[in-house]
Amino acid sequence: MAAMHPFCREIRRNILIASRASGHGHIPTSFSIVEMLCAAYDTLRHRPAEPRWPDRDIFVLSKGHAALGFYAALAQYGYFPVEELKTFGAFQSRLGCHPDRQKAPGVEVSTGSLGHGIGVATGMALAFRIAGSPRRVVTLIGDGEANEGSVWESIMIAVNLKLANFTVMLDFNRSQVRSLQIPNPAERFKAFCCDTIEVDGHDLEALKSALLRPSGAVKAIVARTVKGCGCPTLTRNVFEWHRRSPKPDEFDSLMKELEAA
Amino acid sequence: MRKQFKETTFDLAARDDKVVIILGDISHFLFMPVQEKFPARVYNMGICENGLISVAAGLSSQGFHPFVHTINPFITERCVEHIKDDLCYNGFGANIVSTGASFDYAWDGATHHCYGELATLRMLPGMEVTQPGNARELDTLIRSQYNNSRPTYFRLSDNGHNLDVPVQFGKANILKDTGSELTIITAGPILGNVMEAVRDLPVNLVYFTTIKPIDTDVIARFRHTKILVVHDAHGLQEAVHEVPDVAVSYHGLPDRFCVSYGTVHDIRREIGLDPAGIRHAAQDRLAVL
Repeated sequence: MAAMHPFCREIRRNILIASRASGHGHIPTSFSIVEMLCAAYDTLRHRPAEPRWPDRDIFVLSKGHAALGFYAALAQYGYFPVEELKTFGAFQSRLGCHPDRQKAPGVEVSTGSLGHGIGVATGMALAFRIAGSPRRVVTLIGDGEANEGSVWESIMIAVNLKLANFTVMLDFNRSQVRSLQIPNPAERFKAFCCDTIEVDGHDLEALKSALLRPSGAVKAIVARTVKGCGCPTLTRNVFEWHRRSPKPDEFDSLMKELEAA
Repeated sequence: MRKQFKETTFDLAARDDKVVIILGDISHFLFMPVQEKFPARVYNMGICENGLISVAAGLSSQGFHPFVHTINPFITERCVEHIKDDLCYNGFGANIVSTGASFDYAWDGATHHCYGELATLRMLPGMEVTQPGNARELDTLIRSQYNNSRPTYFRLSDNGHNLDVPVQFGKANILKDTGSELTIITAGPILGNVMEAVRDLPVNLVYFTTIKPIDTDVIARFRHTKILVVHDAHGLQEAVHEVPDVAVSYHGLPDRFCVSYGTVHDIRREIGLDPAGIRHAAQDRLAVL
């Protein structure tokens, strides 16, 4: 595994700080997508100071429960102050535990229920093609989310429409070992006729290369990730940590683990 | 009504390059001329209704005015959560156009019957719900609402009524105001049977084509009377209750599946929604005023 990029480490630190401050957050799943988020925002055209810039490319977090990781990345890229992360889930906050496009800057689709964002993203990609626009759409789905039939409906639609401006990134963090597993997602995507690339989901450069590689078809990037990547306590106890925030002593120890990663 | 839907959207597609038509593998042959003329904006996207709603939301997010069309229970009841999240909660618009109202597909059995969707969609914040009674009304309602970037439902039927009513989105039509203490309220194609049933009875008759937003002003005008909702679906009687303190009874669907086949007329007769059954229900209410 590649060494953790300092930018990505900072995002993970902010996830822990926000979760500690707010008492909310799916930390392991947020940790698993940090490099994927950075690869997307490093390669898409976007303007953090102008979130609704008309020529921007689109990123859609379809697995909305990783909102804390998403917000931490958006803040790190400058969409809103990092300090605001501490309001996560609070009554008047813009940052709910699932993202709301009408509140949080940089959020394109309000998600939460799984298997929805990918379909809306498909429609966006079709809209850009109809309009003759060069804008691209990237969506990030989870492997648990891929249990939903609507995920595969959307992929079939996108492939059938030959939406070459559309990329699906799969966070293959094996969250579904506990229930309905998809042990071979790359084979699945290939069977659905996607241009499929499998990479180390914590290798920022490999992810960026995969995103930038020209393609004439719907692209699927299967990112092999580790839930809780960066903190052995989390990776060893993913089920216990699925949705909880650290107590003070746990917080200190997780921060130390992260510094050592 | 389906033919009118094609004619109306064909015309709109020619006038407005933001119109996109998505078919769920129904009406494909009907729309072939439209697809030939506008291949980039007409898609037979497949039998995947939840996906179609999401795609429509994505199109709307970028300024398009999508129409999504397929058989009623599949594009409405199957897709309620996609309509709720992808359209209503996100604030994206789409025109959902179903075919196969209530018992239009009587012969196909209860999987193809659909009478609950007006009530279900009515509960979704931001949703507009219409039930045109014939082709002319459909044309009026589509042209009025298609490009407002809100989620709007249009319920097509193959059994429209033949009456000429000047409808307007959000407004009810008072078809009879006799000063009676009994007011019949109805909506959509069943108006044909209702009119035949009560034409010569001393009742008021109010007709709706918009279920949401419901025209509360007109209902309030008749709140001092007893109200009988006659409807071959759910949704209208619930909407009438938006006006407080109304005395409403309902003559419509039983709480069971209608498992006979035949035609819509057979099933309407079976459950008392043919002219004779409706007249009987109205006379019963008149007798106890």
